[in-house]
Amino acid sequence: MRNDMSDIARNIRKVAFFLLGLLVMLFIYLSYIQVVESDFLVSHPLNRRNAEATRHVINGMIVDKNGEKLAYSEKSGDGFNRQYPYASITANVVGYDSFKYGKTGIESTFNNYLTGMNNELRHLGAISHLWSNQPGNNVLLTLDAKLQEVAYKELGEHRGAIVVMVPRTGAILAMVSKPSFNPNTLDQQWESISTATNSPLLNRAVQGLYPPGSIIKVMMADAALTEKIVDLKTTINCEGSLKVPPDYVLEESGHKAHGNVNLEEALAVSCNVTFGTLALKLGDKKMAKTFDRYGFKLPIGSEFQEVESHLPDFNSLGNGDLAQVGIGQGSLLITPLRMAMLASVFANKGKIMKPYIVNKITDSDGNVIKEFMPEEWRTPTSPQLADTIKEMMVTVVNDGTGNAAHLSGIQVAGKTGTAENAQGASHAWFIGFAPADNPEVVIAVIVENAGSGGSIAAPIAGRILAQALH
Amino acid sequence: MTNIRRHERTLLLIAGVIMLNGILAVSLTLGAVDYGIIGITCGLITSFLFVNIVLHKTGHAGDPLLLPLAALLAGIGLTTILRLRPNLFLLQVMWIGIGLICFLITAFMARRLEQIAKFKYVCGFIGVGLLLIAILFGVDIGGHKSWVILGPIRFQPSEFAKVFIVLFLAAYLSERRELLTLATRHYGPLVLPHPRFIAPLIAVWSMAMMMFILQRDMGAALLYFGIAIIMTYMVSGRLSYVIIGVVLFLIGSVVCYKLYSHIQTRVDIWLNPWVDPNGEAYQIVQSLFAFGSGGILGSGLTYGFPNMIPEVHTDFIFAAIGEEMGLMGAGAVIIIYIIMVYRIFSVALLSTMSFSMLVAGGLSASMALQIFLIIGGVTKFFPLTGITLPFISYGGSSIVANFILLGMLFAISEVRSDDAK
Repeated sequence: MRNDMSDIARNIRKVAFFLLGLLVMLFIYLSYIQVVESDFLVSHPLNRRNAEATRHVINGMIVDKNGEKLAYSEKSGDGFNRQYPYASITANVVGYDSFKYGKTGIESTFNNYLTGMNNELRHLGAISHLWSNQPGNNVLLTLDAKLQEVAYKELGEHRGAIVVMVPRTGAILAMVSKPSFNPNTLDQQWESISTATNSPLLNRAVQGLYPPGSIIKVMMADAALTEKIVDLKTTINCEGSLKVPPDYVLEESGHKAHGNVNLEEALAVSCNVTFGTLALKLGDKKMAKTFDRYGFKLPIGSEFQEVESHLPDFNSLGNGDLAQVGIGQGSLLITPLRMAMLASVFANKGKIMKPYIVNKITDSDGNVIKEFMPEEWRTPTSPQLADTIKEMMVTVVNDGTGNAAHLSGIQVAGKTGTAENAQGASHAWFIGFAPADNPEVVIAVIVENAGSGGSIAAPIAGRILAQALH
Repeated sequence: MTNIRRHERTLLLIAGVIMLNGILAVSLTLGAVDYGIIGITCGLITSFLFVNIVLHKTGHAGDPLLLPLAALLAGIGLTTILRLRPNLFLLQVMWIGIGLICFLITAFMARRLEQIAKFKYVCGFIGVGLLLIAILFGVDIGGHKSWVILGPIRFQPSEFAKVFIVLFLAAYLSERRELLTLATRHYGPLVLPHPRFIAPLIAVWSMAMMMFILQRDMGAALLYFGIAIIMTYMVSGRLSYVIIGVVLFLIGSVVCYKLYSHIQTRVDIWLNPWVDPNGEAYQIVQSLFAFGSGGILGSGLTYGFPNMIPEVHTDFIFAAIGEEMGLMGAGAVIIIYIIMVYRIFSVALLSTMSFSMLVAGGLSASMALQIFLIIGGVTKFFPLTGITLPFISYGGSSIVANFILLGMLFAISEVRSDDAK
């Protein structure tokens, strides 16, 4: 009998070890879920906990450089309602915050700060609630709401985008995209907004991809001088079209023959033959190198939710296509922000500052908890060459295609572009800056399918520059 | 002996402080402190201490760790229920009170366990009868078709059936131990007992299958089947029985999987819940979100969103603990269960009679299995099964049945102490 007992006891012990082993495995597995998998589960889009938790927190404000409110929360019922005083004017850059449809723009990229979820203390579990019920942090932008409003109105009924930036710092003063939407009534109008064919939710300034057209020629001029393909005295004979073997012909706009022109004259009249020729002389390798120098493939940080530029594959580019890229056509597609950055090279002695739109983050008591400093991003060219191109851009405005951007008393430098595209009439482009001797603002304007850059985009740019320097 | 009860009292006081602390924390965060709730909690703690005094006066020498562990789990459960379903708090306190009375009665009655062995068939019939009642007259409440309604009373017979089935199997198997171990037939590589001797195994297997199919109660089916296999193994020590059992169950499961769509969806959502996170897999996906959002320290009591999980106060209560108390709380609960399971298996191992040893072993195994099935289910370690978390989940049947089970183990543990003297 005793022997039987010890047999049974031995079996029971085995069962006990097996079952205890299962429970220990559960403990390990639970630790895995709550520690390793935790971040994945917390941020899973179907997990409504974060949205629920922040529903009862007063989200911080988004304000412009002068303290003008662009977004703030207002109590409504048991939750909060987000208000946007500038409505559609700032909608694409500030974004929206909808419990139903999520968040975009600054509302999304700075969500953690606005909701106060950046607080490291929240990992302290129950203890963190000692500091809770504080409203979220405020986000102070570099944006100038008044300038933004002027720029928004300048576009009128056209589709397009405008970027205004401080070349010395990279601070964004205005970022307009049209058509826009009213974030105050987004939930009610979601159906029509989200399905509209003219994509009002798209922030064209950073997400719209366009052919640059002739505005790319300022970079081409710099490339030709940097690579010593030409000097300032070299002239090229323009007979109204350029034959590119084997069978491509690059046409001058209106078949106009510019005759013998040097680089400065070619830029002033936006001579396609000259810049097509320069592209061919540079060849695929040096062309690729130039785009590389200007940082087209380099992201500028997650702040803007920017779409990457589309560059042609230079290795397999035929001569005809290469000449097209030289005048900003072909498969080259870039965003308006990138073109403002391109103009800033010549306004800022060859340097591109990293664009930024958030200046500071302050807590609800006004204490600064994070400050963003201007940052040098790329140096595509030398100060001397940058100044040379700048002089050429002054000529463009004074005696060339950009004459409509001319302002009395302030010297504007710029370049127009008229980009052919598959959608219809040409896109009107203008990039530039002012005052030329000490540039304070740089601008990029695109008006979709509106006609020539000189007649449509240049006057808009002139008026916005005047307002910005006012 | 007095010493044992004094230790028990100290441990009960500690568990009481933890319970009171939890209740206070929840009532404070809800705004005003409800003195009624605090008074009732103090009353419940006093009831635990009263049981301790009765055990002391009557010189009961049962294991001093079991009751405090139950009190600790009940305290965590009450705290969570007050947070999740404040209106069920009073009822749960009442169930724990009734559970304590049943614990006390069982702790003394089960001292004469050998006499129960004589009534093994009565136990067997009661156990099977309870299961059959549930199968035949089961009503669907909260997704489980395992409720029986008798006038004003509604209960889940399967919770109680477990004790009777274990008693029956222990008596039946310990009597036929020789036959099970020796009278075998060889079928190729497999060693099988004479069919006559595995009759109870087959009976429980078919019962489990019926629950599986008719009641859609995969948890109970797995539990009973597991108990039958494990107890047969305890007596015989033959792994082949376990293998046969598992194969039989798997065959049954595969047939069910092919025939019944609801079992297919259960298994499919376990394999990949992200395919249909808003449909069939909603509960388990929400449960995983709760655990993940809880992280290490949890959101703090009342600061999480456990009510996003349907039926959170019964089957999914562990997810609520994981969310609001984090790994610290949920991990602590698992550790408390591990200590409890270890302790009740020790009761079995130190028992002096083969019958009581088997009863204790069977009850311990059923407790451990139940904990594994439900915690494994809500964490997606195992396919989800609808059973309760012992001493924590809301529910009268579950609480009372588990206190009876604990009382029985408590009584058996006393024999060991007598023996040790």
